[in-house]
Parts: sequence; structure tokens; C-alpha cells
Amino acid sequence: MAEFNLRAEPFLGGFSHDYGGAMVEEVTDLSLISIAQPLNGRAALAKAVQSGLGCTLPAPGSSAVAENGDLRLLCLGMDSFLVINSGGMSYDRLAAKLDGAGYTTDQSDNWVALELSGTLAYAILERLCPIDLHPDVFPIGAFARTSIEHLNSIVLRQREDRFLLLCASSSATSFLHALTGSAVLIGLK
Amino acid sequence: MSQINRIKGGLIDRSQKLEFRFNGRVFHGHQGDTLASALLANGQRLVGRSFKYHRPRGIFTAGSEEPNALVQLRSGAFQEPNTRATVAQLFDGLEATSQNHIGSLDFDLMAAVDLMSPFLSAGFYYKTFMWPKAFWEKLYEPIIRKSAGLGSLSMREDPDVYDKGFLHCDILIIGAGPAGLSAALSAGRAGVRVILADEDFVLGGRLNSETFVVDGQPGGDWAARALAELASLPNVRIMARTTIWGAYDHGVFGALERRTDHLAQSAGHPRQILWRVTAKRSILAAGSIERPIAFGNNDRPGIMLAGAVRTYVNRFGVAPGKQVTVFTNNDDGWRTATDLAQKGVRISAIVDSRDIAPLTSLPDAEIVMGGRVVDTAGRKGISTCTLANGQKIKTDCLAVSGGWSPNVHLTCHQRGRPEWQSDIAAFVPGQNLPANMAVVGTANGLLTLGEALRSGHQIAEGTVSDLGFTAARHSAPVADNEASGVSAFWYVGESRKRAWLDFQNDVTVKDVKLAYAEGFRSVEHLKRYTTLGMATDQGKTANIPALAIMAECTGKTIPETGTTIFRPPYTPVPIGALAGRSRGKDFRPYRLTPSHKWAKQNGASFVEVGNWLRAQWYARAGEKGWRNSVDREVTMTRNSVGICDVTTLGKIDIQGRDAAQFLNRVYTNAFLKLPVGRVRYGLMLREDGIAYDDGTTARLGENHYVMTTTTANAGLVFQRLEFARQCLFPGLDVHLISVTDGWAQFAIAGPNSRKLVQKVVDGLDMSNEAFPFMACAETTVFGGTKARLFRISFSGEMAYEIAVPARLGNSMMQGLMEAGAKFDAVAYGTEALGVMRIEKGHAAGNELNGQTTALDLGLGGFMSKKKDYIGKTLSERAELTHEDAMRLVGFRPVERSKPLVAGAHFIAQGQEANTENDEGWMSSVAFSPTLGHSIGLGFIRRGHVRMGEVVTAYSPARGGNIAVEIVSPHFIDPEGGRQRG
Repeated sequence: MAEFNLRAEPFLGGFSHDYGGAMVEEVTDLSLISIAQPLNGRAALAKAVQSGLGCTLPAPGSSAVAENGDLRLLCLGMDSFLVINSGGMSYDRLAAKLDGAGYTTDQSDNWVALELSGTLAYAILERLCPIDLHPDVFPIGAFARTSIEHLNSIVLRQREDRFLLLCASSSATSFLHALTGSAVLIGLK
Repeated sequence: MSQINRIKGGLIDRSQKLEFRFNGRVFHGHQGDTLASALLANGQRLVGRSFKYHRPRGIFTAGSEEPNALVQLRSGAFQEPNTRATVAQLFDGLEATSQNHIGSLDFDLMAAVDLMSPFLSAGFYYKTFMWPKAFWEKLYEPIIRKSAGLGSLSMREDPDVYDKGFLHCDILIIGAGPAGLSAALSAGRAGVRVILADEDFVLGGRLNSETFVVDGQPGGDWAARALAELASLPNVRIMARTTIWGAYDHGVFGALERRTDHLAQSAGHPRQILWRVTAKRSILAAGSIERPIAFGNNDRPGIMLAGAVRTYVNRFGVAPGKQVTVFTNNDDGWRTATDLAQKGVRISAIVDSRDIAPLTSLPDAEIVMGGRVVDTAGRKGISTCTLANGQKIKTDCLAVSGGWSPNVHLTCHQRGRPEWQSDIAAFVPGQNLPANMAVVGTANGLLTLGEALRSGHQIAEGTVSDLGFTAARHSAPVADNEASGVSAFWYVGESRKRAWLDFQNDVTVKDVKLAYAEGFRSVEHLKRYTTLGMATDQGKTANIPALAIMAECTGKTIPETGTTIFRPPYTPVPIGALAGRSRGKDFRPYRLTPSHKWAKQNGASFVEVGNWLRAQWYARAGEKGWRNSVDREVTMTRNSVGICDVTTLGKIDIQGRDAAQFLNRVYTNAFLKLPVGRVRYGLMLREDGIAYDDGTTARLGENHYVMTTTTANAGLVFQRLEFARQCLFPGLDVHLISVTDGWAQFAIAGPNSRKLVQKVVDGLDMSNEAFPFMACAETTVFGGTKARLFRISFSGEMAYEIAVPARLGNSMMQGLMEAGAKFDAVAYGTEALGVMRIEKGHAAGNELNGQTTALDLGLGGFMSKKKDYIGKTLSERAELTHEDAMRLVGFRPVERSKPLVAGAHFIAQGQEANTENDEGWMSSVAFSPTLGHSIGLGFIRRGHVRMGEVVTAYSPARGGNIAVEIVSPHFIDPEGGRQRG
């Protein structure tokens, strides 16, 4: 075996910038795991999620929280779920908790995650995101699969003025450019 | 020149004096002026030359409907042609120039064209320039092109930045005039999310142009108070300088917000923002546009719409003339006379086409009822007008009113047809409005202020309650209903002189009649033949009078004659705004491979492959061109080992109890019995039997597979598999998820690939027996990093692909290169990859072009006869399986030194090169450093049984004819011994 240690590099080098009114930060410690519900296996999956993760299986378009808020389970489609885990739980551990009740895939490196926060976060997204992010319509905990600058994205509102934005990791540079470009175009530096 | 026409009053800020230049001359105006009002204040009546006849033209309106006063604003790269002076807000330092003249504006040499007007009637260009034929390209076309258009572009890149965005609301209110404000107050007070948009920079619409009273206050003051209240409501967004220019499906509207057009410099801020507004409901309060009456020489500077004259007097404190005459067919025209008289402007005469009692009397003003203006005089501005009775009236401003046309445009953007309302002689919105749109105020034909306010309030309250909100308890603002009688009167028949309908395109009454005489009956044909209603103003002031004349010609009513269709945009939208920030390298997002950083540091040139930027080759010092680099990469790979980032190939994770069954149905070849730990090549067909993608699928576990697709089709294959999963085979337990971006994947190819792989993989037996060709495994590399290993080959060499999590990809490339240093490992790019796959005879995108079948590709052996699969039935069509079908074969030049050309067509030797003799085409070519000459892949009829035959590769545009020999597509190692090790 060659004497070489592989080094993981964040997709955006751990980008972080405070624009004054808005902060853009790469989140590098999330683990993302997809769960597919086996055909006719909803009840078993719901049971496994309840016992393994401690939350109910959310309906399409909604999400549930577990592990003291470290884990959010998004239902992306009829039989498709995404776990966003900031608590450091490994893919193998989470898969084990489901005990075969769902088909799991490690998605951590498929996505780049950016956190956009601050009072002007909404104004930045207004230039990029076609969906309605008004707090009455898109409250805390709401998420949507949408497009940001032609890039397939997931937008999750974590707080009134904080959003988690996910995009395919190969487009990380363009995704960041879209966000920082918006910040500049609304007059921030 | 001082502001000689400035009078008291108006909404301008006289404490702020602004300096601007028009044609290099310095003028002054005030904050709150438009360029048009400031020019009029300075007595500058002549502002441009007309399109066709180069007639002197002045300011005709006070709004976005302006057909005449088109100017160029700013200079250098910022220069913008064809800008309406009537909506350009004045700022200190504004530079404007007039358009469409040779020599000065005052002495336009092209004015001589007007003398030739009898030869330049409607459609003259369809009738002339017909002969001699040879003159067309060299003479006529250049002349016509030079004459076309008005202003000129800077021919430099637009230095401004633009942006776009998305807005959402419960109610979009389009127009902030009295009806719009009334609606906004009702909606805003009820708490619904409101966007109130108006194209003007001062909101209030006609309230700022008139002397009306609302709720006991001057109309302008009421508007200001209403806006202040709306601005205080957090649920209301007021957007001034914002034009709603298009109404689209599902409550989506196009909006253009002009952010810095009123500033000397943008200072890095977006000049304009193109918004996509999604509204649950919309209330159109777009007002109405006054239309002219056509009479002889009605286009001179100083002839204006009567309502515009009031605007200049009441809003801008500018008297457009000192002796004003009013020519009207309606009551509203009289208000111009009374307003002006109140401001001390002398009214010479009021000429009303109606034979009724005068509405009022004004001292010193002559009143002519049942009168008509037949002609005017004055070289660069009106000095007199002549009535039908022969009377001449001295006047320097003729205010014309032919009635008001509701702004129905947005109601028609989804094919809605307006309806004729004879009591106001105008079209009003029809029944088939865009979904969830209501129309209020004068836009709906309610031409009085009291009605406008009431309708705005009432409709908004209804809309609020439809949305589930409770309307606030407020009554509608109150105003009198002013006199608004009108009697249709479109043109003065007694006039013998040319009477203009469309000022922007120089279309006259005679032109419309001529079009009719020449057989044009439909208004759409009339438009195309005469150019009526085209260009920046889209005939806002011209269309209705013109179609009234057309109706008269045809003996039909106006509603029977109909209107042309209104299409977006309502007013011009700059291309820059449509592009937004998607310019230059930001035209579209791009994708980077995991080893991009390493590639950049190691001399890579990049090529766009779909959205990916892939390393095309890695140049080394001393290499004289790309071919040197590519030849080296191929040779070093074939001689030892090469490494290529192949992450871009689509990767789809497939799991489920029925995953094997699913694969067996989507691939043409058998997949049921693929063992765990093995990879199989697979081919997919479209439903119509045409091949569309190929790749490999590895079985990682009993119910777990990972499929690779081509880079180009990664998204398409995923979509189609999802469709198959959800719609064709819903009874199968199978699940898909893309893992393309999650894994950095590297091809390691060449005779030393096994040695290199052995160095990086942790403790796996890499012998041919333990890990043969088409084996796969989940393993670890570099001491514990999880990885996937596949023994597959695209180059024809012994080859592996190793995948590691994407975040480790850059480091992995470094690690592989370090581990391979002992073997002189080389990084290779897409060019070398292409050369090697052509040498091996593997089909790629050029061959899988959506027209070729598995048989054509020489992959007939992969079409299982023992099972069904997508595309099977239609692949068996006689047309796709006949003997004369195309076959993928190899080609080499008979004269080896000659390069082959992709795209060349094959013709039998000695035959004429025409479509009938076309036997196929060259799909891919490369210089093979291994063979030392150019090689190609291509399709030719019955190619598989024509080995050794020589045909002509015909490419007249690139390189001429070359004699080529048909050979096997497998130029290298046809038996496959190398890849099997």
C-alpha cells in the first residue's frame, strides 16, 4: 500500500463570509442519508424510524425532527426520504438503526451545504429562488426542492432568518457564486 | 436658454436645478421632470426625425405610449437608443441626442426623402427592389439595412449589470392611479400581501395630471397620503418605475423594475431587475391612453394629445405653448382648455367635432362646434391650423383628443379578445380574462374618477374576501364623476394632406386605404403590410383609429373588424434585463470534477462537456500544441499506465428486491444472473427501438447495484428509469438515487494499471483469478478510506476504475499520481480518452446520436431474444433490421498521411457526390499515435460485409475528398487480450 494519506477537502474550502446583514457559510459536518421505502413497506419503515430515530415518518413535503434537533428527516416524495444529520451519526450507524426497513444510500458527498442567515437572507434568496419563502407560507422547518440559478436545490428554513441550502456538490462553485453574487447585487459587501 | 415655458405649480422640486445636454446643448430642468417636460420647459419642440420621411417630430404624449420623442440617452458604452423622452426621469448630467438624421436635427439631409413620399407608400419595399436581381444583395439590402431602425447601438458590451428575481403576493395591483390606489388601500388594510406596481416614478397616475378632488383633497395630495399609508403597511410592497409587461399562465407576470435609470451612475447596482411575479389574484388598473384624430399634417412638433398637455401644465409646471388650440371629439378635451386657462395659458380656440352646445366658454377663445382641423403649417413646429371652413388659427400648440382607449393589453396576453363598447367608442376587456384577473377603473372602460375609485375599492374588497380575508371597514374614496361624453370621430375626411395614424412608422390614413385597395382585409395583414402598430410603441396611440378606418373601408363595424393581438411585452424590455446576470462565463452554472484543482495545477486545458468542465489534456513544458500532449498521454497510457477523472459519467444507485428484474427490463441484454461482485456492459433502447445509452452496471450486493451512464445522458437515463419504475413497472420493488456527485471516480488504464491499483487498494488480491476483467468490489484504499473498485475498460487496456467519496477526489488524484510515479503514470484528459476509445472501436455520443440502432452499432449480439425489454418490439421493425442498414465500421485513409474529417459522407468511388449516392457518414476521427495515422469510425450501408473496400469520404466544406478503406472498428487489440490481462 502506498504511503499517502487521503485528505478530505470541503467543496468550497469551508467558505464563510459575513456581509453585514447576511452571512454565507459552508456547512462541512453534515451527513446526508437517503432512505427509500420498500414497496409495501411503509408500516415497517415507520416503525423502524420511530424506534430507531425517535420520530414519526413525515408525509411528502414535510419533515420531522429527532435526536434533540440534530437530525431532520425530510420526505422528498412518496417513498423517498432524506436525513440531514448534524450530530455526527455515521452512515453505517444510521443504516443499522433502520435494521433493513429502508434502502439507504450515503448522500453526504453528493451535496454541498450552505447556510444563509441574517435579516437580508430573504432578500438574497428573492433574486434566486422561484418559490415563496414568506414566513407565513414557508415557516421554520419548511423545506422545498426547487431550483436556484438553474441548479436543483433543497431549501430548508431553520430559523426565521436562517436557511440551509443544498445543491449538487459538483456545482458548488456556481452555487456559491449565485449566492454571493446576489449579496453583492443587493448592495452588500 | 432659460426655461421659457416654465409656469407655476406642478410636482417638480424647483429647489433642485438639474443640468442636462440635448444634442450637446446645455439646458436646465428640475428634480421631478422628465426629459420631455424639461425640453418643453426650455422651448425645445423639435426632438427627432420620423422613421421613413424624416419629418420633424416633437413630443406627442406624456407617457410610455410616446411614438415620436425617441432619443439616445447617455454616451459611450452606456448609450441606449430609442428611449422615450416622456418616461426618462431627468437627472443632473443627463446626455441625450436626437436620432435618425444626417447632419443636424434642424437640417436633416435625409428630409429630402419626404419629397419622394408619393413613391414610398405602404408596402413600397415589397413592390420595388425587385430588379435587377443581382442588385439585391450588393445594393438594396445594404441600403435597407442602413435605413432601418432609428437610433444606433454603441457596438460595445453593455457595462451595466442586470438582475432578476421572484416575487409572490396575494394580489398584484397593476397601476397606481386612482383605481389602483383605491384597490391597494382596500387590499392592504385587509392584511393581504399586496404588490402595487406602476411604471411611473411618481405614483398616482392621472391624479397628478388633473385638478380633481378626492375625499375633499386635491387629487395629487390624496394620492400622496394613500401612498404614505400603503408604505406603512408591512404587507404592501410598492414598486415604482416598475412595468408589468406580460401576463402569463398560472398567475405569473413579468415585471421590469428600473432601479438606476434615473441616476447618473449605477455604481455597481443592477440597472434593472426583471422580476417574475406570482400572484394569486391580479387587479389590472392600467388606466387608458388618449388617442389622436388624424388630419392633414397632424404630425408637426407642437401637436400633442390634449391629456398630455394637461400633464405638462399640472404635473410639470410647463406650458407646451403660449397660444393653445384644442381639437376634440369629447368632453375631456375641454378640460385641457379650462385647466390651461386657469394657469394663465392663452387658449386660441376650441374646435369640437360634435355639433352640440359648447361645454363652457372661455374669454378670448374661439369656440367652433362641429368643426374640423384639416391642415397645419409651420416648418419645425406648428404655427397655424386651418379649419374645414377655411379659417386659419394662429397657434403654437394644438391639443388633440380623440377619446380614451382602455389599456386592455394585459387582458389579451392569453388570447383574450377585447369587446367594443360603443358609448365610449373604445375596446374594453372581454370576458375571457387571464385566470384570477379583475380589471378596474378606466382600464375597464369606467372613464370617470368617481367610478374608477369606486371600482377599485369594490373589486379589491371582493378579491380580499375570495382569498379568505376580511375586508377592513372603509368606504370607497369619493370623487365627482366628471363629464366624459364622446362621439366617435377618427379622421378628418376633408383633409387633402397626409394625415398620420402611426407616427413612429409614418403610416397615414392613405396607407391604410391603399392596403385595403390592394386586397388586405384582416387587421393582422394590414399591420404587416403597412407596419402599423410595430416598433417600440406598438401602436398604442395608432391602432384604434387605424382599424376604425379599415372598418370604414370594408363596410364593417369596428368590432367586426377586430384588433390585432396584444402580446408581451407591454413596453420594451432590454435584452440585458432578460439576460440578467447570465452573461459571459456566468451564462450557465458549471460542474467541476473532484480533481479540478489538481488538474488546474498540472497544466490542464478544460473543455465543456454538458455543464462539466473536464480536463481535455495536460500540457507539459516544451509541448508545441495539443496534439503533442494528447499523443504523449495516449502513448504513455498504452505503454505503462494513465489516470483519468471519469466522475462525470452518470452513477445511479439501484436497490430493491426486484432490482435485477428491473435491470433486465431496461437493458437489452440479460441481467438476471449477474453475480454479486461482477459488472456487465448494458445497452438501452428508446421505446422506438433506437439505441440511446450504454454503460456498465455492477452488482454490489444481493439487492444493490450501481449503474454508470454516459456523461451526456446521465440526467436523461435517470429520468427514464424513474418513469419506468413509477409508471411502467410500479409493481417492482426498486429504488433509484443519483450518486454521480457523491463519488470521485478515476480510470486507471494501461499494462501497469494492476501494479498501481495494487499499491493503493488495501489488501485485496488483484490477480486475474481473484479480480478478473468485469469484477467489482466494495473495498478501502490508502489505509482505510472506503472505495469502490471496478475492473472495466474503455480504452481497451487492462483497466480499473476506483471511486472514493467526492471530497477525497482531489487528494485521490494526487495519491494515484504519487503511487504511479514509479511507473511513469500519466494523467490523461478527454482527448486521449477519445483517441483510445476510437482506437478500440467503442461507440460514444457521436455514434449514439439518436438515429442509430443496436444493429447499426454492431451491438446486435446484446439484444436478447429470450426476454422482453424496453424498445424491443419496435427495434424489430423491418426498417431497422433490413440488410441494407448502416453498420458501424472503421475507416483509414488509403494514403496514410492524410487526415480524416468527421462529418464526411461516404460515396462509392467514381460516383457523383449527391444525396442519392450517399452511403453513410464518418462519426468520429482521431490521429492514432499508436498506429501513426488518422483513423475513423463511421456508419456505412452493409459496412460489416465490405471490409477492405475503398470509398470516398466526401467533405466539400472541410478538406475535400479522401479515399478511405473500410476496416474493422477495432483498430487495437480486436481480440480483447489486453483488457482481460
